[in-house]
Amino acid sequence: MPEQLIKVRPTKIELIKLRRRLSLSQRIQKIVKDRLSIITLEFLQRASEIVESKRNLLDYFSEAYKALSITAGYHGYIALEKELVATEKDVMVATGSANLAGVRTPSFELAEAEKTIRGYNLVDTSSFLDKSVQLSEVCLKAIIELAELQRTLDLLGMEINRTKRIVNALEYLLIPGLQATIKYLYMKFEERDREEKSRLKRVKVLLQRE
Amino acid sequence: MVSQLPYQRMLEECLKGELRVLNAHLPRQQKLLSDLLAEEHPHVDCNDGSTHFFKRKELEYLASITGADEQKALLLPILIELGPNQGEVSIICEPGITEKIVVKILNMPIICEQGRITLYRPQLGVLRKVLKTTTQYVFSSRTLK
Repeated sequence: MPEQLIKVRPTKIELIKLRRRLSLSQRIQKIVKDRLSIITLEFLQRASEIVESKRNLLDYFSEAYKALSITAGYHGYIALEKELVATEKDVMVATGSANLAGVRTPSFELAEAEKTIRGYNLVDTSSFLDKSVQLSEVCLKAIIELAELQRTLDLLGMEINRTKRIVNALEYLLIPGLQATIKYLYMKFEERDREEKSRLKRVKVLLQRE
Repeated sequence: MVSQLPYQRMLEECLKGELRVLNAHLPRQQKLLSDLLAEEHPHVDCNDGSTHFFKRKELEYLASITGADEQKALLLPILIELGPNQGEVSIICEPGITEKIVVKILNMPIICEQGRITLYRPQLGVLRKVLKTTTQYVFSSRTLK
């Protein structure tokens, strides 16, 4: 793409302004590139964590379903439901935000994570139920962790796209435009100098003739 | 070919915004680990008015590798400064407690010079994996030079 010149008056003041803008743009480009590399690093890290987290989640779910099947087989579905209906409780998740190099990412944490009393009758139930409830809680924690990671990954991806656009705009549009305009202004001044010199020479010749 | 760039103004506005967001996420004030552990929802307020929450799990991990006195001296979040050299970053800290934590996490000796621990990018990855919310990036003015 050819560099587009910026419409400016060919004066020294404009040249100084353009040079300042160029230097500022180059510094910003450096910072934005730094930021992009950091965000990319975090993105890759989160991506690998998500893979691990999903694998763990599947393992936890498989274990939890196995335990639940055994419990249901031992107690029977009706008795199990009767025990568990009394223990129903809303899940409390503490939400907040964390800031990651300028990207606001969500932060989820399961409140009351370490519960020791679960609400069902310990006399009428077996250790199978304890085990399946324990595994279900682990699943819940894993889901919340995965949700946080997934959203963070989405946000980081969007930020990477945005930052890349800025880096490209600087690299291929703004900085080349400024450089071309500065070059154009230098050429204009040199041309003006040459004109001035030839004009002076002409005047000198005319004066000598007289 | 002299023409006005159509996106000139938009780009400049975008860049101004970029500089604004750069360090807007920094905390107004760092907090002591001991204070954060006592809070129900440990957090710090940021310069842009937002709130940065710490993971309790991370705080508890830090508490487990530090003594009671050290918890009263450790300021969080730990600031990671991005230097002009793209391959390196440095951690702004007083020699002592932060140094001990970084040594523990990286499992290798490090040197703290002039209040800064210099790390390479792979080491940064390891550190950030463990301390996600208790560390924050700083784009320092040195980067601008």
